[in-house]
Amino acid sequence: MRRTWPLSRVIPYAAAVLGVAAITAAIGLVRPWVELPNLTVAYLLLVLFLGARYGWPSAVSAAFLAFLAYDWFLVPPYGTLWISAPRELLNLIVLVLAALAGGRLAASLAAREAGAVAEAEESGILYELAIAALREPVETTALARLCERAVTSGGLEAMSLVAGDSSQAQVAEVVAGAALTAAELSESRAAIAARQDRGAVLRDGQLAFAPRVSGRSSAAFVVLGGGVAVLKPPRHRLNVDSRRLLAALLGLAGLLLDRRRTAAISEHARALEASDRLKAAVLSSVSHELKSPLASLRAGLTTLQMPQAGLPPDQRELVSGLNHQTTRLDRLVGDLLAMSRLEAGLPLDQQPQELDELVGAVLLSLRPVLEPFRLLIEIESGLPPVLADELQIERLLTNLLENAAEWTRPGAAITVGAQSRNSQIEAWVQNDGPAIPLEDLVQIFDKFWTNRQGGSGLGLAICRRIIEAHGGSIRADNTPAGPRFSFRLPTAHQVVEVAR
Amino acid sequence: MSGRVLVVDDEPEIRRALRTGLGYHDFDVRAVETGGEALAQAAAWRPDVVLLDLGLPGIDGFEVLAQLRQRGNRAAVIVVSVMPDETDKVRALDLGADDYVVKPFGMQELSARIRAVLRRQTAAAVEGEPVLRAGDLELDLARREVKVGDRLVHLTPTEYELLRYLAVHAGKPVTHSTLLRQVWGEHAVGDTYNTRYVVAQIRKKLEDDAAQPRYIVNEPGVGYRLKA
Repeated sequence: MRRTWPLSRVIPYAAAVLGVAAITAAIGLVRPWVELPNLTVAYLLLVLFLGARYGWPSAVSAAFLAFLAYDWFLVPPYGTLWISAPRELLNLIVLVLAALAGGRLAASLAAREAGAVAEAEESGILYELAIAALREPVETTALARLCERAVTSGGLEAMSLVAGDSSQAQVAEVVAGAALTAAELSESRAAIAARQDRGAVLRDGQLAFAPRVSGRSSAAFVVLGGGVAVLKPPRHRLNVDSRRLLAALLGLAGLLLDRRRTAAISEHARALEASDRLKAAVLSSVSHELKSPLASLRAGLTTLQMPQAGLPPDQRELVSGLNHQTTRLDRLVGDLLAMSRLEAGLPLDQQPQELDELVGAVLLSLRPVLEPFRLLIEIESGLPPVLADELQIERLLTNLLENAAEWTRPGAAITVGAQSRNSQIEAWVQNDGPAIPLEDLVQIFDKFWTNRQGGSGLGLAICRRIIEAHGGSIRADNTPAGPRFSFRLPTAHQVVEVAR
Repeated sequence: MSGRVLVVDDEPEIRRALRTGLGYHDFDVRAVETGGEALAQAAAWRPDVVLLDLGLPGIDGFEVLAQLRQRGNRAAVIVVSVMPDETDKVRALDLGADDYVVKPFGMQELSARIRAVLRRQTAAAVEGEPVLRAGDLELDLARREVKVGDRLVHLTPTEYELLRYLAVHAGKPVTHSTLLRQVWGEHAVGDTYNTRYVVAQIRKKLEDDAAQPRYIVNEPGVGYRLKA
């Protein structure tokens, strides 16, 4: 196959040949009248010009051509390559060496200048894009301009940016640049999901395209921080400056996509937090509205119960019953609120807590309820602290003890125990009462499940919710000594430094 | 009459019930509706105890409490609230409240609380008492000695300071932040586990069972209280 030489490759050598011919002719014309000692200097000018303009190969060829032409036409004996005077030989050797050195120097200076120009252009482009990114609140404008620059200055045929996260690659979408075909979009999503570049990679601050495989999509996919860049390379090979500019552009695109993703995440978090606050506010307001009338009822009814109120015995009994019902209603409202708080997913305040002192607080506040029973404490001494929300565990223990009190006849035993198990603490409330029917053991923690009249069916369900929120577990068993409810909580691993 | 009680509540039924019920318990009772009236009555009538609802319209309970203390009013304040939020209790106690009662409450419980703060007030009025007692626990402030019955208990300075502060305020819930400030100094930063740890050490030395405490009682979400 015949290779065609492009014109741009021929011109330097043509210039060398023509230049040497012209200078040789000029020297030949001038020499009869002006005797100059070192006319070979004229060739040097040509060699330097060629080196600066076209690089060293044409400069070196010009130097050799000049050597030959000077020797042939201007060094006696004329018409031969024979050199009679040693002075002339030295002259020629110096000419060639000077031409070689000067040509190369000029060529490298020219290349360096071209590089500096390219770098200046590159930083100008990056500066312009960075300013655009800072000025625009929305990244898409800057990203669109970036894609344009990759085409106009980077030499690509087209570029598109697809924003997406590897965890949700299937919803990744084009945010800037040229439109993609369905196949290209699905290929970009695959690249995001696998975090795998295809067809091009960023290496050593340059973009390197893989050799093309025929029959496959011509686009290359480079994975960035918050998405993927889809690049369509031109037919010809890109020069080093373009590849470096493209690498810089992709770096900037990665930063912008990442910023876009972070903004989306924090927006989402803000929305969630606002809805948490709203839930908490609604619950607090509902609790106020429900409990205020109950407070008036309780205060009034307990006043009427006093002997000073002077009610006859039958009416006092009536009032006592009403007071009892009011207390029940209050507990029910409390349970419903506790349950909705748990279901609203309000965050726990987990801190290292001593389980025994929590038990102590609950036993104290339940003293009127637990009065009729024999209370046994079996808490292992020196237990490590549990990692728990104090108020939630207080409620859990309260519910378990109230439940035990409901099922125990006066004078019988209620036991509270705890022991260390691996990196957890197991605690239990056991009561000397009737065994739980086998079929109930599983569903006893279900919401609204109850086996007793007047029960809300929420007490044990709340217990399960609380324990699950702590990452623990709860279960009911029948033991020879009576039903036992046991739960496990994580221990607090942190070592606490205490100033003493 | 066993004491003057000022009831501050915006709910008319509660005011009526408390006027009657506390009257039956031999208290001299006045009831007002707003924070402004409360401040005026506290100054003019000089009640021994103020029953203060936190959720008042206008000047709220916290503000009334802060202003009372700012004006040097030493009436015992029992905060009453339907909001079972512990941060409110802590805030009220740190502002100078003496106790808190969660609504709804029975009249017996309420009058018992009122009597307790009144007893503490009288005890505090007996100045110059160098020995504090809580059950068989004895703190000799002059000698810095702690005894359970006849047994002398050796405490570290931190443990002694914490126990002393609780004993001086026996019966009153003391918040974790107050204990941290009082024991470790004004600029103490630390979490509540510091106080928990020291309390556990003191209990060990006093041979007090945390699950069935004789002396130091845990107030979940709030702090500690020494049984009076």
